[in-house]
Amino acid sequence: MTPPPVPGPPLLDTGVGIDGGIALPRPPLTAEDAARSRDRFRVHNARRHGHRWTLLWLLIGPGILAMIGENDGPSMISYATAGATYGIGFFVPFILVTFAMAVVCQEMCMRVGAVTHRGYGQLVLERFGPLWGWFSAGDLILTNLVTLIAEFVAIRIGLSFFHMSAGVAALLGVVLVVFTLSGGRYWRWERIVLGMAVFNGLFLVAAIMTRPHLGTIGHALLTASPFPGGSFNTLLLLVASTIGATVTPWMIFFQQSASADKGLTPSDLRHGRYDTIAGGVLAALCGIGALIAGAALFGHGGSSIQGLSGAGFPGALKLVSGNAVATVFALGLIEAGAVAILTISASTGYAVGECIGVAHSFNNSTRKATVFYGANVGAALIAAAIILIPGAPLLSIALNANVLATVLLPVALVFLIMLANDRELMGKWVNTPTTNRIAVAIVVFISICGAAYGVDSFLQTVHII
Amino acid sequence: MTQAEQEELVMFLERDQFVGDTSRPVRRMALTPRMTIALWALRVFVVVVSAMVIYTFVSQLA
Repeated sequence: MTPPPVPGPPLLDTGVGIDGGIALPRPPLTAEDAARSRDRFRVHNARRHGHRWTLLWLLIGPGILAMIGENDGPSMISYATAGATYGIGFFVPFILVTFAMAVVCQEMCMRVGAVTHRGYGQLVLERFGPLWGWFSAGDLILTNLVTLIAEFVAIRIGLSFFHMSAGVAALLGVVLVVFTLSGGRYWRWERIVLGMAVFNGLFLVAAIMTRPHLGTIGHALLTASPFPGGSFNTLLLLVASTIGATVTPWMIFFQQSASADKGLTPSDLRHGRYDTIAGGVLAALCGIGALIAGAALFGHGGSSIQGLSGAGFPGALKLVSGNAVATVFALGLIEAGAVAILTISASTGYAVGECIGVAHSFNNSTRKATVFYGANVGAALIAAAIILIPGAPLLSIALNANVLATVLLPVALVFLIMLANDRELMGKWVNTPTTNRIAVAIVVFISICGAAYGVDSFLQTVHII
Repeated sequence: MTQAEQEELVMFLERDQFVGDTSRPVRRMALTPRMTIALWALRVFVVVVSAMVIYTFVSQLA
Protein backbone atom coordinates (compact mmCIF):
# COMPACT_ATOMS: atom_id res chain seq x y z
CA MET A 1 0.00 0.00 0.00
CA THR A 2 1.37 3.39 -0.91
CA PRO A 3 0.57 6.20 1.49
CA PRO A 4 -1.27 9.13 -0.05
CA PRO A 5 0.76 12.29 -0.57
CA VAL A 6 0.83 14.64 2.37
CA PRO A 7 0.64 18.39 1.88
CA GLY A 8 3.62 20.36 3.09
CA PRO A 9 7.21 19.36 3.69
CA PRO A 10 8.03 16.08 5.44
CA LEU A 11 9.78 16.01 8.81
CA LEU A 12 13.10 15.29 7.23
CA ASP A 13 13.76 15.65 3.58
CA THR A 14 16.24 12.90 2.94
CA GLY A 15 16.33 13.28 -0.81
CA VAL A 16 20.02 13.98 -0.78
CA GLY A 17 21.96 13.67 2.42
CA ILE A 18 24.63 16.15 3.36
CA ASP A 19 27.49 14.65 5.26
CA GLY A 20 30.43 16.89 6.05
CA GLY A 21 29.47 19.21 3.24
CA ILE A 22 29.57 16.46 0.63
CA ALA A 23 26.28 15.55 -1.05
CA LEU A 24 25.78 11.81 -0.84
CA PRO A 25 23.40 9.80 -3.02
CA ARG A 26 20.50 8.20 -1.21
CA PRO A 27 20.91 4.45 -0.58
CA PRO A 28 18.62 2.19 -2.61
CA LEU A 29 15.17 1.60 -1.12
CA THR A 30 14.71 -1.98 0.06
CA ALA A 31 11.46 -3.74 0.94
CA GLU A 32 12.42 -3.35 4.61
CA ASP A 33 12.84 0.42 4.14
CA ALA A 34 9.49 0.63 2.36
CA ALA A 35 7.67 -1.20 5.17
CA ARG A 36 9.29 0.98 7.82
CA SER A 37 8.56 4.10 5.83
CA ARG A 38 4.85 3.28 5.78
CA ASP A 39 4.87 3.16 9.58
CA ARG A 40 6.80 6.42 9.72
CA PHE A 41 4.27 8.00 7.37
CA ARG A 42 1.51 7.38 9.92
CA VAL A 43 3.67 8.78 12.71
CA HIS A 44 4.41 11.84 10.62
CA ASN A 45 0.73 12.36 9.87
CA ALA A 46 -0.32 12.04 13.51
CA ARG A 47 2.36 14.47 14.60
CA ARG A 48 1.59 16.91 11.83
CA HIS A 49 -2.12 17.02 12.66
CA GLY A 50 -1.59 17.14 16.42
CA HIS A 51 -3.27 13.79 17.09
CA ARG A 52 -1.52 13.17 20.40
CA TRP A 53 -3.24 9.93 21.36
CA THR A 54 -2.81 8.46 17.89
CA LEU A 55 0.86 9.39 18.02
CA LEU A 56 1.23 7.72 21.39
CA TRP A 57 -0.58 4.62 20.10
CA LEU A 58 1.72 4.44 17.09
CA LEU A 59 4.92 4.89 19.06
CA ILE A 60 4.32 2.62 22.05
CA GLY A 61 5.47 -0.96 21.79
CA PRO A 62 9.10 -1.89 22.45
CA GLY A 63 9.11 -0.54 26.03
CA ILE A 64 5.86 -2.19 27.08
CA LEU A 65 6.81 -5.44 25.37
CA ALA A 66 10.25 -5.54 27.01
CA MET A 67 8.79 -4.90 30.47
CA ILE A 68 5.71 -7.12 30.21
CA GLY A 69 7.78 -9.71 28.35
CA GLU A 70 10.02 -9.83 31.38
CA ASN A 71 6.96 -10.42 33.56
CA ASP A 72 7.40 -13.91 32.21
CA GLY A 73 6.76 -17.38 33.55
CA PRO A 74 9.89 -17.70 35.73
CA SER A 75 9.48 -14.11 36.96
CA MET A 76 5.90 -14.65 38.04
CA ILE A 77 6.89 -17.93 39.67
CA SER A 78 9.75 -16.09 41.42
CA TYR A 79 7.37 -13.42 42.71
CA ALA A 80 4.79 -16.00 43.78
CA THR A 81 7.50 -18.08 45.47
CA ALA A 82 8.76 -15.00 47.32
CA GLY A 83 5.21 -14.25 48.46
CA ALA A 84 4.54 -17.84 49.50
CA THR A 85 7.85 -18.12 51.35
CA TYR A 86 8.12 -14.72 53.04
CA GLY A 87 4.80 -12.92 52.59
CA ILE A 88 4.67 -9.55 50.88
CA GLY A 89 6.57 -7.45 53.44
CA PHE A 90 9.98 -6.82 51.92
CA PHE A 91 9.21 -7.76 48.32
CA VAL A 92 6.51 -5.19 47.41
CA PRO A 93 8.90 -2.22 47.66
CA PHE A 94 11.77 -4.35 46.34
CA ILE A 95 9.84 -5.13 43.13
CA LEU A 96 9.12 -1.40 42.71
CA VAL A 97 12.84 -0.63 43.11
CA THR A 98 13.87 -3.27 40.59
CA PHE A 99 11.39 -1.96 38.02
CA ALA A 100 12.68 1.57 38.58
CA MET A 101 16.13 0.14 37.79
CA ALA A 102 14.70 -1.52 34.69
CA VAL A 103 13.20 1.77 33.47
CA VAL A 104 16.61 3.48 33.71
CA CYS A 105 18.31 0.67 31.75
CA GLN A 106 15.58 0.29 29.15
CA GLU A 107 15.39 4.03 28.50
CA MET A 108 19.05 3.89 27.53
CA CYS A 109 18.35 0.99 25.14
CA MET A 110 15.47 2.84 23.52
CA ARG A 111 17.54 6.03 23.18
CA VAL A 112 20.56 4.27 21.66
CA GLY A 113 18.30 2.36 19.24
CA ALA A 114 16.36 5.47 18.18
CA VAL A 115 19.47 7.61 17.68
CA THR A 116 21.74 5.07 15.97
CA HIS A 117 19.03 2.94 14.23
CA ARG A 118 21.15 -0.07 15.10
CA GLY A 119 20.62 -2.97 17.49
CA TYR A 120 22.70 -3.62 20.60
CA GLY A 121 24.47 -6.71 19.20
CA GLN A 122 25.48 -4.90 16.03
CA LEU A 123 26.80 -1.85 17.88
CA VAL A 124 28.82 -3.86 20.43
CA LEU A 125 30.30 -5.97 17.64
CA GLU A 126 31.21 -3.01 15.44
CA ARG A 127 32.23 -0.53 18.11
CA PHE A 128 34.15 -2.83 20.48
CA GLY A 129 35.19 -5.59 18.10
CA PRO A 130 34.06 -9.14 17.28
CA LEU A 131 35.41 -10.65 20.51
CA TRP A 132 33.21 -8.54 22.78
CA GLY A 133 30.34 -8.74 20.32
CA TRP A 134 30.33 -12.51 20.30
CA PHE A 135 30.81 -12.68 24.07
CA SER A 136 27.64 -10.60 24.43
CA ALA A 137 25.77 -12.68 21.88
CA GLY A 138 26.98 -15.88 23.59
CA ASP A 139 25.74 -14.66 26.99
CA LEU A 140 22.42 -13.78 25.44
CA ILE A 141 21.95 -17.07 23.62
CA LEU A 142 22.81 -19.03 26.80
CA THR A 143 20.46 -17.10 29.06
CA ASN A 144 17.77 -16.98 26.38
CA LEU A 145 17.84 -20.72 25.92
CA VAL A 146 17.55 -21.36 29.66
CA THR A 147 14.87 -18.69 29.99
CA LEU A 148 12.93 -20.06 27.03
CA ILE A 149 12.94 -23.48 28.67
CA ALA A 150 11.52 -21.82 31.76
CA GLU A 151 8.82 -20.11 29.65
CA PHE A 152 7.70 -23.46 28.29
CA VAL A 153 7.79 -24.73 31.88
CA ALA A 154 5.42 -21.92 32.89
CA ILE A 155 3.02 -22.78 30.08
CA ARG A 156 3.25 -26.43 31.05
CA ILE A 157 2.45 -25.61 34.69
CA GLY A 158 -0.51 -23.49 33.60
CA LEU A 159 -1.85 -26.08 31.18
CA SER A 160 -1.37 -28.97 33.60
CA PHE A 161 -3.94 -27.29 35.84
CA PHE A 162 -6.38 -27.89 32.99
CA HIS A 163 -5.11 -31.46 32.65
CA MET A 164 -3.20 -30.81 29.45
CA SER A 165 0.12 -32.45 28.74
CA ALA A 166 3.64 -31.11 28.23
CA GLY A 167 3.28 -31.89 24.53
CA VAL A 168 0.42 -29.40 24.23
CA ALA A 169 2.58 -26.74 25.96
CA ALA A 170 5.47 -27.36 23.59
CA LEU A 171 3.22 -27.29 20.53
CA LEU A 172 1.39 -24.14 21.65
CA GLY A 173 4.63 -22.21 22.15
CA VAL A 174 6.14 -23.18 18.81
CA VAL A 175 2.92 -22.57 16.86
CA LEU A 176 2.63 -19.10 18.42
CA VAL A 177 6.15 -18.19 17.33
CA VAL A 178 5.54 -19.41 13.77
CA PHE A 179 2.15 -17.67 13.58
CA THR A 180 3.41 -14.26 14.72
CA LEU A 181 6.41 -14.40 12.38
CA SER A 182 4.33 -14.99 9.32
CA GLY A 183 3.44 -11.40 8.43
CA GLY A 184 6.63 -9.79 7.19
CA ARG A 185 5.82 -6.61 9.13
CA TYR A 186 7.22 -5.39 12.45
CA TRP A 187 3.99 -3.51 13.14
CA ARG A 188 1.85 -6.64 12.83
CA TRP A 189 4.14 -8.67 15.08
CA GLU A 190 4.27 -5.92 17.71
CA ARG A 191 0.50 -5.44 17.83
CA ILE A 192 -0.22 -9.16 18.15
CA VAL A 193 2.20 -9.49 21.07
CA LEU A 194 0.90 -6.28 22.68
CA GLY A 195 -2.62 -7.70 22.47
CA MET A 196 -1.50 -10.86 24.21
CA ALA A 197 0.44 -8.88 26.83
CA VAL A 198 -2.79 -7.30 28.08
CA PHE A 199 -3.56 -10.59 29.78
CA ASN A 200 -0.58 -10.15 32.12
CA GLY A 201 -3.23 -8.27 34.12
CA LEU A 202 -4.63 -11.68 35.11
CA PHE A 203 -2.09 -11.73 37.95
CA LEU A 204 -3.57 -8.51 39.27
CA VAL A 205 -7.04 -10.06 39.03
CA ALA A 206 -5.80 -13.14 40.90
CA ALA A 207 -4.33 -10.92 43.61
CA ILE A 208 -7.59 -8.99 44.04
CA MET A 209 -9.53 -12.24 44.19
CA THR A 210 -7.42 -13.37 47.16
CA ARG A 211 -8.79 -10.32 49.03
CA PRO A 212 -5.50 -9.04 50.37
CA HIS A 213 -5.49 -6.73 53.35
CA LEU A 214 -4.83 -3.23 51.98
CA GLY A 215 -3.35 -2.06 55.27
CA THR A 216 -0.72 -4.82 55.08
CA ILE A 217 0.22 -3.80 51.53
CA GLY A 218 0.46 -0.14 52.55
CA HIS A 219 2.60 -1.07 55.55
CA ALA A 220 4.88 -3.15 53.34
CA LEU A 221 5.20 -0.29 50.85
CA LEU A 222 6.13 2.24 53.48
CA THR A 223 8.37 0.14 55.72
CA ALA A 224 9.67 -2.75 53.54
CA SER A 225 8.98 -4.97 56.51
CA PRO A 226 8.77 -7.55 57.91
CA PHE A 227 12.21 -8.38 56.56
CA PRO A 228 12.42 -12.04 55.45
CA GLY A 229 13.90 -14.50 57.91
CA GLY A 230 14.90 -18.15 57.52
CA SER A 231 17.58 -19.51 55.19
CA PHE A 232 19.99 -16.80 54.02
CA ASN A 233 20.72 -18.72 50.82
CA THR A 234 17.02 -19.01 49.93
CA LEU A 235 16.63 -15.29 50.52
CA LEU A 236 19.64 -14.56 48.27
CA LEU A 237 18.17 -16.83 45.60
CA LEU A 238 14.85 -15.01 45.70
CA VAL A 239 16.49 -11.56 45.73
CA ALA A 240 18.75 -12.49 42.79
CA SER A 241 15.91 -14.10 40.89
CA THR A 242 13.65 -11.09 41.57
CA ILE A 243 16.31 -8.81 40.07
CA GLY A 244 16.62 -11.26 37.18
CA ALA A 245 12.85 -11.02 36.87
CA THR A 246 13.02 -7.32 36.04
CA VAL A 247 16.30 -6.51 34.27
CA THR A 248 17.85 -9.06 31.93
CA PRO A 249 20.24 -9.24 28.97
CA TRP A 250 17.49 -10.13 26.50
CA MET A 251 15.54 -6.97 27.38
CA ILE A 252 18.59 -4.88 26.45
CA PHE A 253 19.01 -6.61 23.10
CA PHE A 254 15.29 -6.61 22.44
CA GLN A 255 14.34 -3.02 23.19
CA GLN A 256 17.25 -1.47 21.36
CA SER A 257 16.77 -3.66 18.29
CA ALA A 258 12.98 -3.32 18.33
CA SER A 259 13.25 0.47 18.64
CA ALA A 260 15.47 0.51 15.56
CA ASP A 261 13.23 -1.99 13.74
CA LYS A 262 10.15 0.08 14.55
CA GLY A 263 11.92 3.07 13.04
CA LEU A 264 12.05 5.32 16.11
CA THR A 265 14.07 8.48 15.62
CA PRO A 266 15.40 11.12 18.03
CA SER A 267 12.15 13.06 17.54
CA ASP A 268 10.32 10.11 19.18
CA LEU A 269 12.45 9.95 22.33
CA ARG A 270 9.78 11.53 24.53
CA HIS A 271 7.19 8.95 23.49
CA GLY A 272 9.79 6.20 23.81
CA ARG A 273 10.22 7.25 27.43
CA TYR A 274 6.44 7.21 28.00
CA ASP A 275 6.38 3.72 26.49
CA THR A 276 9.19 2.50 28.76
CA ILE A 277 7.75 4.06 31.91
CA ALA A 278 4.25 2.75 31.14
CA GLY A 279 5.72 -0.70 30.63
CA GLY A 280 7.58 -0.47 33.94
CA VAL A 281 4.50 0.64 35.89
CA LEU A 282 2.23 -2.01 34.34
CA ALA A 283 4.78 -4.75 34.82
CA ALA A 284 5.42 -3.74 38.45
CA LEU A 285 1.68 -3.80 39.19
CA CYS A 286 1.24 -7.24 37.63
CA GLY A 287 4.40 -8.53 39.32
CA ILE A 288 3.13 -7.36 42.70
CA GLY A 289 -0.15 -9.07 41.79
CA ALA A 290 1.69 -12.39 41.42
CA LEU A 291 3.49 -11.77 44.73
CA ILE A 292 0.23 -11.08 46.55
CA ALA A 293 -1.49 -14.08 44.95
CA GLY A 294 1.44 -16.27 46.01
CA ALA A 295 1.34 -14.75 49.50
CA ALA A 296 -2.07 -16.34 49.98
CA LEU A 297 -0.04 -19.53 50.52
CA PHE A 298 2.16 -17.89 53.17
CA GLY A 299 1.48 -19.72 56.40
CA HIS A 300 -0.10 -22.61 54.49
CA GLY A 301 3.14 -24.41 53.71
CA GLY A 302 3.77 -22.15 50.72
CA SER A 303 7.51 -22.48 51.04
CA SER A 304 7.34 -26.17 50.22
CA ILE A 305 4.99 -26.30 47.27
CA GLN A 306 5.07 -29.67 45.63
CA GLY A 307 3.69 -31.08 42.43
CA LEU A 308 5.21 -30.88 38.93
CA SER A 309 8.62 -31.20 40.59
CA GLY A 310 7.94 -28.26 42.85
CA ALA A 311 5.98 -25.74 40.80
CA GLY A 312 2.37 -26.52 41.57
CA PHE A 313 1.22 -23.00 42.37
CA PRO A 314 -2.20 -23.19 40.71
CA GLY A 315 -2.95 -26.48 42.50
CA ALA A 316 -1.83 -25.09 45.85
CA LEU A 317 -3.84 -21.90 45.32
CA LYS A 318 -6.92 -23.97 44.56
CA LEU A 319 -6.71 -25.55 48.01
CA VAL A 320 -6.21 -22.26 49.85
CA SER A 321 -8.00 -19.57 47.78
CA GLY A 322 -10.42 -21.53 45.65
CA ASN A 323 -10.77 -22.74 42.09
CA ALA A 324 -11.39 -19.32 40.53
CA VAL A 325 -8.12 -17.80 41.80
CA ALA A 326 -6.21 -20.89 40.76
CA THR A 327 -7.74 -20.80 37.28
CA VAL A 328 -6.87 -17.13 36.77
CA PHE A 329 -3.33 -17.72 38.04
CA ALA A 330 -2.89 -20.71 35.71
CA LEU A 331 -4.16 -18.70 32.73
CA GLY A 332 -1.78 -15.90 33.73
CA LEU A 333 1.16 -18.31 33.70
CA ILE A 334 0.21 -19.47 30.20
CA GLU A 335 0.04 -15.85 29.00
CA ALA A 336 3.29 -14.88 30.71
CA GLY A 337 5.12 -17.80 29.16
CA ALA A 338 3.60 -17.24 25.71
CA VAL A 339 4.41 -13.52 25.48
CA ALA A 340 7.94 -14.09 26.74
CA ILE A 341 8.55 -16.89 24.25
CA LEU A 342 7.74 -14.41 21.48
CA THR A 343 9.87 -11.54 22.79
CA ILE A 344 12.82 -13.69 23.87
CA SER A 345 12.84 -15.58 20.57
CA ALA A 346 12.79 -12.20 18.83
CA SER A 347 15.79 -10.99 20.84
CA THR A 348 17.64 -14.18 19.88
CA GLY A 349 16.83 -13.56 16.22
CA TYR A 350 17.96 -9.93 16.43
CA ALA A 351 21.24 -10.87 18.17
CA VAL A 352 22.12 -13.66 15.73
CA GLY A 353 21.22 -11.60 12.67
CA GLU A 354 23.10 -8.53 13.89
CA CYS A 355 26.25 -10.43 14.85
CA ILE A 356 26.37 -12.45 11.63
CA GLY A 357 25.58 -9.32 9.66
CA VAL A 358 22.53 -10.52 7.78
CA ALA A 359 18.98 -9.12 7.49
CA HIS A 360 17.43 -8.89 10.97
CA SER A 361 14.04 -7.23 10.80
CA PHE A 362 10.42 -8.26 11.08
CA ASN A 363 9.91 -5.98 8.07
CA ASN A 364 11.58 -8.59 5.89
CA SER A 365 10.04 -11.66 4.33
CA THR A 366 11.10 -15.06 5.64
CA ARG A 367 13.02 -15.64 2.42
CA LYS A 368 15.00 -12.42 2.80
CA ALA A 369 15.77 -12.89 6.52
CA THR A 370 16.11 -16.65 6.82
CA VAL A 371 18.71 -16.54 9.60
CA PHE A 372 16.67 -14.06 11.66
CA TYR A 373 13.46 -16.08 11.43
CA GLY A 374 15.36 -19.36 11.71
CA ALA A 375 16.96 -18.28 15.01
CA ASN A 376 13.52 -17.19 16.27
CA VAL A 377 11.94 -20.55 15.60
CA GLY A 378 15.06 -22.61 16.33
CA ALA A 379 15.42 -21.25 19.87
CA ALA A 380 11.77 -22.00 20.60
CA LEU A 381 12.05 -25.50 19.14
CA ILE A 382 15.09 -26.43 21.29
CA ALA A 383 13.42 -25.16 24.46
CA ALA A 384 10.18 -26.96 23.60
CA ALA A 385 12.05 -30.23 23.13
CA ILE A 386 13.76 -29.92 26.54
CA ILE A 387 10.55 -29.53 28.53
CA LEU A 388 9.32 -32.81 27.15
CA ILE A 389 11.99 -34.58 29.23
CA PRO A 390 10.09 -36.38 32.01
CA GLY A 391 10.85 -35.44 35.63
CA ALA A 392 12.61 -32.15 34.83
CA PRO A 393 12.99 -29.96 38.00
CA LEU A 394 10.69 -27.20 36.81
CA LEU A 395 10.76 -24.73 39.70
CA SER A 396 14.52 -25.00 39.98
CA ILE A 397 14.94 -24.31 36.25
CA ALA A 398 12.62 -21.32 36.46
CA LEU A 399 14.38 -19.72 39.44
CA ASN A 400 17.89 -20.46 38.19
CA ALA A 401 17.09 -19.01 34.76
CA ASN A 402 16.53 -15.65 36.43
CA VAL A 403 19.64 -15.98 38.61
CA LEU A 404 21.81 -16.74 35.58
CA ALA A 405 20.38 -13.68 33.84
CA THR A 406 21.24 -11.58 36.90
CA VAL A 407 24.81 -12.89 36.99
CA LEU A 408 25.43 -12.22 33.29
CA LEU A 409 23.71 -8.85 33.26
CA PRO A 410 26.55 -6.55 34.48
CA VAL A 411 28.60 -7.05 31.30
CA ALA A 412 25.64 -6.22 29.07
CA LEU A 413 24.87 -3.15 31.17
CA VAL A 414 28.45 -1.88 31.09
CA PHE A 415 28.48 -1.99 27.27
CA LEU A 416 25.08 -0.31 27.19
CA ILE A 417 26.35 2.51 29.41
CA MET A 418 29.43 2.90 27.21
CA LEU A 419 27.27 3.09 24.09
CA ALA A 420 24.90 5.57 25.69
CA ASN A 421 27.91 7.77 26.55
CA ASP A 422 29.52 7.46 23.13
CA ARG A 423 29.33 11.02 21.81
CA GLU A 424 30.48 9.96 18.36
CA LEU A 425 27.39 7.74 18.05
CA MET A 426 24.90 9.56 20.22
CA GLY A 427 25.77 13.22 19.69
CA LYS A 428 23.79 15.40 22.07
CA TRP A 429 21.69 12.43 23.23
CA VAL A 430 24.40 10.95 25.46
CA ASN A 431 23.63 10.07 29.09
CA THR A 432 23.37 12.88 31.60
CA PRO A 433 25.72 12.68 34.62
CA THR A 434 22.75 11.76 36.83
CA THR A 435 21.75 8.88 34.53
CA ASN A 436 25.34 7.66 34.61
CA ARG A 437 25.51 7.72 38.40
CA ILE A 438 22.26 5.78 38.69
CA ALA A 439 23.31 3.32 35.97
CA VAL A 440 26.68 2.60 37.61
CA ALA A 441 24.97 2.12 40.98
CA ILE A 442 22.62 -0.39 39.33
CA VAL A 443 25.54 -2.34 37.84
CA VAL A 444 27.30 -2.48 41.22
CA PHE A 445 24.14 -3.51 43.05
CA ILE A 446 23.27 -6.25 40.56
CA SER A 447 26.87 -7.55 40.54
CA ILE A 448 26.89 -7.80 44.34
CA CYS A 449 23.51 -9.57 44.48
CA GLY A 450 24.43 -12.07 41.76
CA ALA A 451 27.86 -12.75 43.25
CA ALA A 452 26.46 -13.10 46.78
CA TYR A 453 24.08 -15.85 45.71
CA GLY A 454 26.64 -17.54 43.44
CA VAL A 455 29.38 -17.64 46.06
CA ASP A 456 27.12 -18.52 49.02
CA SER A 457 25.36 -21.36 47.20
CA PHE A 458 28.62 -22.69 45.78
CA LEU A 459 30.31 -22.75 49.21
CA GLN A 460 27.30 -24.57 50.63
CA THR A 461 27.30 -27.07 47.78
CA VAL A 462 30.97 -27.93 48.31
CA HIS A 463 30.31 -28.00 52.09
CA ILE A 464 32.75 -25.21 52.99
CA ILE A 465 30.07 -23.36 54.96
CA MET B 1 7.12 -0.12 -7.09
CA THR B 2 7.25 2.91 -9.36
CA GLN B 3 9.82 5.67 -9.04
CA ALA B 4 7.14 8.10 -7.83
CA GLU B 5 5.99 5.70 -5.12
CA GLN B 6 9.56 5.23 -3.99
CA GLU B 7 10.04 8.98 -3.80
CA GLU B 8 6.96 9.33 -1.60
CA LEU B 9 8.08 6.55 0.71
CA VAL B 10 11.64 7.70 1.27
CA MET B 11 10.45 11.09 2.49
CA PHE B 12 9.45 9.55 5.78
CA LEU B 13 12.75 7.91 6.64
CA GLU B 14 15.79 9.64 8.02
CA ARG B 15 18.83 9.26 5.83
CA ASP B 16 20.71 7.11 8.34
CA GLN B 17 17.65 4.88 8.78
CA PHE B 18 17.98 3.21 5.39
CA VAL B 19 19.12 -0.40 5.43
CA GLY B 20 21.91 0.61 3.08
CA ASP B 21 23.16 3.04 5.71
CA THR B 22 22.66 0.94 8.84
CA SER B 23 24.49 -1.95 7.15
CA ARG B 24 27.62 0.16 6.97
CA PRO B 25 29.69 -0.62 10.09
CA VAL B 26 30.36 2.17 12.55
CA ARG B 27 33.98 2.98 13.29
CA ARG B 28 35.63 0.80 15.92
CA MET B 29 36.31 2.48 19.27
CA ALA B 30 39.90 2.54 20.48
CA LEU B 31 39.76 1.02 23.96
CA THR B 32 42.38 2.31 26.37
CA PRO B 33 44.46 -0.34 28.20
CA ARG B 34 42.63 0.55 31.41
CA MET B 35 39.23 0.01 29.79
CA THR B 36 40.38 -3.29 28.29
CA ILE B 37 41.61 -4.53 31.67
CA ALA B 38 38.36 -3.46 33.34
CA LEU B 39 36.28 -5.25 30.70
CA TRP B 40 38.35 -8.43 31.02
CA ALA B 41 38.11 -8.30 34.82
CA LEU B 42 34.34 -8.00 34.56
CA ARG B 43 34.23 -10.84 32.03
CA VAL B 44 36.27 -13.15 34.30
CA PHE B 45 34.12 -12.21 37.29
CA VAL B 46 30.95 -13.02 35.40
CA VAL B 47 32.28 -16.33 34.08
CA VAL B 48 33.42 -17.45 37.55
CA VAL B 49 30.11 -16.57 39.22
CA SER B 50 28.15 -18.16 36.34
CA ALA B 51 30.19 -21.35 36.76
CA MET B 52 29.34 -21.36 40.49
CA VAL B 53 25.62 -20.92 39.79
CA ILE B 54 25.62 -23.63 37.11
CA TYR B 55 27.63 -26.02 39.34
CA THR B 56 25.19 -25.48 42.20
CA PHE B 57 22.22 -26.03 39.92
CA VAL B 58 23.65 -29.25 38.49
CA SER B 59 24.59 -30.51 41.99
CA GLN B 60 21.04 -29.92 43.18
CA LEU B 61 19.76 -32.05 40.32
CA ALA B 62 21.95 -35.00 41.28
